[in-house]
Amino acid sequence: MENKEQKKAPLRVLLGKPGLDGHDKGAKIIASLLRDAGIEVIYTGLRQSIEQIIAAAIQEDVDIIALSILSGVHLELSRKLLYELNSVTKADLIPVIIGGVIPKQDIKSLKQIGVAEVFPVGSSFDDIIKIFKSYEQKKV
Amino acid sequence: MKEDLKKIKDLKKKWQEKIVDPRLKRYKLAQSPTTFYTPSDLEDFDFTEKVGFPGQYPFTAGNDPVPGWQAMAESQAIASNRFEWGGASSGGAGKYAGFGTPEDYRDYLLRMHKLGRKGGPNFAMDLPTQCGYDSDDDRAMGEVGRVGVAVDTLKDFEVIYEAYTGDIDIDKIASNFTANGAASIIIAMYAALAEKRGIPLEKLRGTPQNDILKEYVGRGTYIFPARPSLRLFRDLLVFSANRLPKMNITSIGGYHMREAGVSREQDLAFSMAIGTEYLKTGVEAGVDIDLFAPKFTFNAFGGSMEFYKEIAFQRAARRMWANILKNRFGAKNPRSMMIRQIMTAHIGCSSTTLQRPLNNLTRAVVGGMAGGMSGGIPFGAMPPWDEPLGLGHSLEAQQLGHDATRILMYEAKLGEVLDPWAGSFFMETLTNEIEKSALEELKKIDEMGGALAAIEKGYMQHAASQGAYKRQKMIENHEQFVVGVNCFAGPTEIDVRTERSVEAVYDLNLTATAEKRKKEGLAKLKAERDNILVEDSLNKLGAAAKNEQENLMPFLIDCVKTYATLQEMCDAMRKEFGTAEPTTI
Repeated sequence: MENKEQKKAPLRVLLGKPGLDGHDKGAKIIASLLRDAGIEVIYTGLRQSIEQIIAAAIQEDVDIIALSILSGVHLELSRKLLYELNSVTKADLIPVIIGGVIPKQDIKSLKQIGVAEVFPVGSSFDDIIKIFKSYEQKKV
Repeated sequence: MKEDLKKIKDLKKKWQEKIVDPRLKRYKLAQSPTTFYTPSDLEDFDFTEKVGFPGQYPFTAGNDPVPGWQAMAESQAIASNRFEWGGASSGGAGKYAGFGTPEDYRDYLLRMHKLGRKGGPNFAMDLPTQCGYDSDDDRAMGEVGRVGVAVDTLKDFEVIYEAYTGDIDIDKIASNFTANGAASIIIAMYAALAEKRGIPLEKLRGTPQNDILKEYVGRGTYIFPARPSLRLFRDLLVFSANRLPKMNITSIGGYHMREAGVSREQDLAFSMAIGTEYLKTGVEAGVDIDLFAPKFTFNAFGGSMEFYKEIAFQRAARRMWANILKNRFGAKNPRSMMIRQIMTAHIGCSSTTLQRPLNNLTRAVVGGMAGGMSGGIPFGAMPPWDEPLGLGHSLEAQQLGHDATRILMYEAKLGEVLDPWAGSFFMETLTNEIEKSALEELKKIDEMGGALAAIEKGYMQHAASQGAYKRQKMIENHEQFVVGVNCFAGPTEIDVRTERSVEAVYDLNLTATAEKRKKEGLAKLKAERDNILVEDSLNKLGAAAKNEQENLMPFLIDCVKTYATLQEMCDAMRKEFGTAEPTTI
């Protein structure tokens, strides 16, 4: 078990803050949380376009794209991200996780769009870590 | 006196040993969860120097010996007209709101007028506007009219202000603009609108938020790097001091920084440091401190549920600001030395919970009580209980919030005593402690070269990220409790809900089509305006931006009048100033 764990490269996450919203407390908390859990986090900073986020994700060869969205544009941005990500990465799709102010009724729609996980306000550190760690397990 | 203090000290020691320690043992506690203060905790306390009288330096006990809200309380209750303290019919601006296109926002304001809320507009602007982009820019996609109204050109102001004519024309109301990076452009639009209506600038009242430095720490709607942003602040300050005597210059907000994660003491120190930077900017531009400092207001400091500490915070803040103005800047006018703000202590929006959200009303009432005991109105309406449920407070939540204020005023009579904690061994000690920590932090920032330098170094931004993570960890680790979130959240607890009618303010059908409608309107305007005039004014703005000594306000007003767009003006300045780089961690 120990040996197996050691062989694995740490999970790499691109944490993006798309759109113009400047409330990045959540993003920064998640960055610190994941780093403390041994996950590598590349935080893009504010106001990144979807194109910039995809380019960074590919360049940094990340395992997950995580987006923090608080301004209510999560559906539009997720649709755009998944569509463009699909056309760039084809079959080898990078899983996308969304967190932020996400109304309950939108979670289903986000999953239909292809978002892998959604963390609305009130999600616990434990739950977040558990999900991210599950991707670490899946990593070859 | 000294003898008495010694006696008390001895007695306290005995009490600790004989009474307290056995209890702690019984509860198996290493440290007492309680504190008891005596006169010996407050040795060498000079009441006149540290507290003084309400309305007098150092304003610890409050700005006003007879606050208007208390003076008018009885007549207001008898008349029972709709009266929202701190806004609307009290002569100020109405509730912070805004959405969709200028037409949507205008219609909303007209609806509010019909409900008796005739205060001036208190603009929430959408993110593209706040960040210096037009509705037709790619970066604005999905955000047009979303968290506020979309403003691209003077035309938009003309449409919005169709709601304000006659007995509520813009020389009779106050307008508030939550604009920071774009504040100078927004004020240029307001000035141009007044000119078009034949209203002298001298009559305009209102407040731009115009607190750009805190945007780099929390909230994040900056456009240019911090240094040139401070130049724009200077230009607006000088223009305002000379031409807009009734307009405030800035509304400084520690609130956003605390919400972003900085501690209570950092909130205080950073706010003082940022305020000092603005004051310095005005003085260095050659404006008399007593001419412009009275036009500084404070939006709010951050709040929390910690009742005692938030009261002490407000007392310490007033004393510190007064001290800075008097001793560091040599202000003579007492009005220069006051922290003018709409409310004092309150809870933070981040104190509210999505879980069992009606509890947020209880929380806001606690904040309102702290407000009433710290030199302000007992404002129980901040924020309405449904704050975490999404954009747009319901009318019911607003009603309950305003009723909370009224109950605290009329039934609990919180306004009867000024600074009720004055002289308390406990509260004076706590006030001193908070002031001392904040002064230490302020000294650190001074040594870095002031707020601008501290922001350029990323110091304040770092403090916010660290603090936010720390606070969240404390909740996760049960070092701090939030009812219904990390305790008392079991299956036997009952969720309580109530009706919410979110007024058509945030009509989803309107917001869904806002972007399309706004873009069409903008395209039409761009085709119809005199583009040679536009270009000429933008070139002049760009040239003026190159010369640091030049005041950009007249140039911005000239641009605005040609119907140049907000982004066109920002782009002209971006060429000189650059774009703010996002801080990463």
